[in-house]
Amino acid sequence: MAEYSCLIVEDSPMMRQLLVFALARVKNLRVTEADDGVDGLRKLASARYDIIVTDINMPIMDGLKLVKRVRSDPVHKDTPIVIITTEGSQEDRQRALQLGANAYITKPIQAPQVIATVKELLKIE
Amino acid sequence: MSSDQRNRLDTSEDPGRDLKTERDEFLQKFGRGASLARQFLHDYEALEQRLRTLEAENAALRAKVEADHAVRDLLRKIETLEAEKAELLSRFNRAEEIRSNVVARMEDVELEFANLANLFVASTQLNSSLSPRAVTRRIKEILAQLVGAERYAMYLSNPEGTELVPIASEGVPGAQLVPVRVQGTRLGAVVESGAAAIDEEADPSQGTFEQPAAIIPLMLDERTVGVIAIFATLAQKNRFHTVDFELFRLLGRHAAAALVGASLFAQAEHKLPGLEAFLDLSV
Repeated sequence: MAEYSCLIVEDSPMMRQLLVFALARVKNLRVTEADDGVDGLRKLASARYDIIVTDINMPIMDGLKLVKRVRSDPVHKDTPIVIITTEGSQEDRQRALQLGANAYITKPIQAPQVIATVKELLKIE
Repeated sequence: MSSDQRNRLDTSEDPGRDLKTERDEFLQKFGRGASLARQFLHDYEALEQRLRTLEAENAALRAKVEADHAVRDLLRKIETLEAEKAELLSRFNRAEEIRSNVVARMEDVELEFANLANLFVASTQLNSSLSPRAVTRRIKEILAQLVGAERYAMYLSNPEGTELVPIASEGVPGAQLVPVRVQGTRLGAVVESGAAAIDEEADPSQGTFEQPAAIIPLMLDERTVGVIAIFATLAQKNRFHTVDFELFRLLGRHAAAALVGASLFAQAEHKLPGLEAFLDLSV
């Protein structure tokens, strides 16, 4: 059975823990955590990931900059990206999707929604 | 012909009268027999024709009867198949109903699991922080990230228990962050009653400083030592869910204790109590 890898980029340890708990419900999904955008890019440079779940508001490098960088990376340019943010406005959503994000989830997150989004993007039954 | 010759013929070739009569009679009889034979032949042919007609009719009737049997058989088969179809449909509907119930139950279980994960994470984060600042940050994180609070403040009672003093906040203008009297205020009423004040019907994103969406008492050893006031939630959070009420309960029971524990630990300069402190517990 295929195994997938997911990179969570989130500065809040609480949110990271919550996302890890949620994504542990997806079979054959290996999860790696990164503290911020820079840490995320470092991890993306050293391994290939099937999906990236990232917060927007982070210190050092925010999620939108990360999305931009990932889209210019030949290895991960087509990797699905899920944006998680407190911003719920339509403009923010549009901005994130225009930059190349594939899905947009607003906080507070609902684990079933995160699971469903990741499964859909990875085309897992 | 001469008369002599004629006489010879008369005597040698001309049959006798009896013989002639006999011949005529025979011829007559033969003619009747022939006529009878013709009649028989005609009747025979007619009968044969009739027989063929009857046989054809019989075959047609037999075919019809057979066809009727076949139709009856087919009808019986159709009835059987209809019954089987109805049975299968009923079984399919039952299976579908069971499947829907299982799916709904699975969704409930997943939601319950997610809620428990939220509570576990909140509790772990709250109780694993050892400085008052870190505990306060965790409380704020729980409110912002897990509950979806946008404007909120945490107040603690002064030693006299007459005022609530704001110690942490988010999204509240500085001018509004002033001590609040316990008597005669919404926040004070929660301190006095020890019960949370939450309008479950109202949209919490529409809450205001004057009419907070939720006020949660902070308990310490069955005493209310402060409150958390959520003035408004994020726009997308337009109602509180079951897990939010559980989180409020968790914050109410653990936040103050975590704060006090972290304060005492900080006051003790992060030194663990000596072993003797645990030896005399008498438990």
